[in-house]
Amino acid sequence: MLKVIAACGNGMGSSQMIKMKITKVFKKLGVDVQVDHNSVGAATSMASNYDAVFVSQNFVNNFANAAGRGVKIIGLKNLLSEQEIEEKIVEAGLDKK
Amino acid sequence: MLLKELVEKKLTCYEEGFDDWKDAVKANGVPLKNEGYIDDSYLDAVIACVEKYGPYIVIAPNIAMPHSTEGAPGVYKTGIGFMKTERPVHFDPNDPEKDARLFFMLASNDSEAHLNNMMQLADMLSNDDLVADLLNAKNDEDVLAVAAKYSEE
Repeated sequence: MLKVIAACGNGMGSSQMIKMKITKVFKKLGVDVQVDHNSVGAATSMASNYDAVFVSQNFVNNFANAAGRGVKIIGLKNLLSEQEIEEKIVEAGLDKK
Repeated sequence: MLLKELVEKKLTCYEEGFDDWKDAVKANGVPLKNEGYIDDSYLDAVIACVEKYGPYIVIAPNIAMPHSTEGAPGVYKTGIGFMKTERPVHFDPNDPEKDARLFFMLASNDSEAHLNNMMQLADMLSNDDLVADLLNAKNDEDVLAVAAKYSEE
């Protein structure tokens, strides 16, 4: 099963929003996935336990280390756009896992 | 319907615009303050959060979700404060995609109630027609009309 984490500044706002939206898109794509969420601070140290990290575009650079270890870092511009989320999931090959 | 609840709980406000996003965040918090959800220390924390992390609270075009942490000092109740501005508020002078006119300030000291709010908010804001109508709302009456229009869905 795919394991992903959504992260934002504090773990109570946009990360929850991202979690809800990506859960919906993964379901639509028929991908079996576990979606967690946390603050960026906590998520950076946990990132290598996951296949992918979903964050606002602003936070992509915080995950440079994890990206170097092969974790997919997905930066979103519009957190509410299922189209953008789906395109980026497909682009990263996460629908094939 | 979340919008109706926000009007009934007196958590809404309508403003012309703000030159400084910090003033917009403070104005967004006024109804929450008046109704005993938060105090000024929470608003300071929200502003500090944007200064620290950048304008990521603008989650989609026109939509900002100012907040700090769950259970932060200065939070007394769980709720959402809504503000609509006529002019866009600029969070990043170099990025018009970080302009906002619809503000949903989050306050939470109860993760279950907050999650329920967030699910309703995500559903609501995912409806582009509803968001377009909300951008035209100028007062509580307009917002209640939007709530009624979409509540059967």
